[in-house]
Amino acid sequence: MMKDTAHNTPALAGETPARGAGISVDNVSILFGAGENAFLAVDRVSTEIAVGEFVCIVGPSGCGKSTLLNAIAGLEHATSGAVRVDGAVVTGPAAQRGMVFQQPALFPWKSVRENVAYGPRMAGLSNDEARQVADDLLEMVGLAAFGDKRPQTLSGGMQQRVAIARALANTPSILLMDEPFGALDAQTRAMMQENLLQIWHQVGITVVFVTHDIDEAIFLADRILVMSAGPGRFVQEITVDIERPRLPEIAIDPRFVDIKRRSLEIIRRESTRAFEQQLKAVL
Amino acid sequence: MSGPIEQAAGAERPAAKRAAGFWQGEAVNRLALAASLPLFFGLWEIVSRSGVVNVILFPPPSTVLGALLDWLESGQLLIDFGMSASRVVVGFSVGAVLGALVGIMTGRYRLLSSLLSPVFQLLRPIPPIAFVPIVILWFGLGETGKYFLVVWGVFFTVWIAAHLGVQRVDEKLIRAARVLGTPEKRMLREILLPGALPYIFVGLRTSVSISFYTLVAAELAGTFAGLAYRIDIAQQNLQMGQMMGGLVMLGVISAAADKLFAVFAEKAVWWS
Repeated sequence: MMKDTAHNTPALAGETPARGAGISVDNVSILFGAGENAFLAVDRVSTEIAVGEFVCIVGPSGCGKSTLLNAIAGLEHATSGAVRVDGAVVTGPAAQRGMVFQQPALFPWKSVRENVAYGPRMAGLSNDEARQVADDLLEMVGLAAFGDKRPQTLSGGMQQRVAIARALANTPSILLMDEPFGALDAQTRAMMQENLLQIWHQVGITVVFVTHDIDEAIFLADRILVMSAGPGRFVQEITVDIERPRLPEIAIDPRFVDIKRRSLEIIRRESTRAFEQQLKAVL
Repeated sequence: MSGPIEQAAGAERPAAKRAAGFWQGEAVNRLALAASLPLFFGLWEIVSRSGVVNVILFPPPSTVLGALLDWLESGQLLIDFGMSASRVVVGFSVGAVLGALVGIMTGRYRLLSSLLSPVFQLLRPIPPIAFVPIVILWFGLGETGKYFLVVWGVFFTVWIAAHLGVQRVDEKLIRAARVLGTPEKRMLREILLPGALPYIFVGLRTSVSISFYTLVAAELAGTFAGLAYRIDIAQQNLQMGQMMGGLVMLGVISAAADKLFAVFAEKAVWWS
């Protein structure tokens, strides 16, 4: 199945094939360490993410949002509860769930094209087939001319586009993104956000996107989950009912501003609470 | 630059600049580079012939060159070179391959590391030269003993480089590989080996020098041909020219081997 879907790259078909998968996060807790040093990073978190939905998780740093994302990826194990993708419990990483990290994490010993072709090759495609998939995806992210380049010679934004192409080359049904644009400058970030929305629209994939940038979350998401720190919990769910396609100008749309005000209020309240809690723990 | 005072002072600046520029210039630098070895050998020649030192014990380069040419003409130089080179090549190759393989395994599998690392850490500091007497009893004067000593010198250096290299592979790359669907059994070949390669090559390059040190010890312990052996024999016959010629050959060959390896390494791990 992997082979077939990877082969005809619906990513480029132009329609919306809705190849996404649904995610169910069911009462998930993640505990690090043991005994006195144990640290509860994520505390009984639940949510349902629909097929093809774009969900952003926002929250202060250290609130456990990346940990939760890692649990959906299968890089982290839920101490209790379960993550299910299309009904099946996640027990480890799988090519079906693509992931993009804050750092591009490209393999420096491979060319840009070989980086993108890596997943398909692992899935058993021949080198020629994998190369074809890679070239198609590099085309999609606007880097068709850079296939033979070494990743280190590209700018940060371009490297991150390669990382996105690499994740999509596996034809995943879910794309998990952990502050992927956090290290980029403002202009590049804005461009990447628009680019990502186009790709998401083309591919019809489910996206879970972690960020601490509330503007980014409102611009991108169908739904925002606000997470609090110490321990990490969902404290609010905000539906972004702003029509698509969205242009950067929506940042001054009253609905955008309203969502932003409400979110910031919650985040401030939660940050203060977490801070006071930390103080109490120290004193 | 633009003020009247600077302009006035600037009158004598070009000369000063030219003087400083002369010593920092590219041409004079190239000249120094070209003069370095002739100056060294020239001075050596003069000092040797001046009578300040005993010319028998400190022969001039012309005598050394003569001895080298005699050595070459007799056909013995080629044999000595071949024997020494084969010891280095065989010992280095075996030690490097074993060291890299074992290092990758101990770096990857904790159980294996717990089992082997204490033993290796105990054996690693023993200088290969200290093994010479035992090696003679174990292997006699044959080639096996020579290989053993060079392998001993190379193995631990490459082992520790590979061991640490595997452990220092960027965690981000490993995670990226996992989410891209890398099967556990392909992780070693696809990610850990290339990730550790820059470290392994640092160990390998150090080992090139080590194999030459060890070669000398191995040949002094007794053999029938070889560059260091020739130095030993020449000493017994008080052939100073031949002895120094041997040193020159060892210096040239190990420097060439090091350079060659550096070029190879740059091609092999071009990304680091």
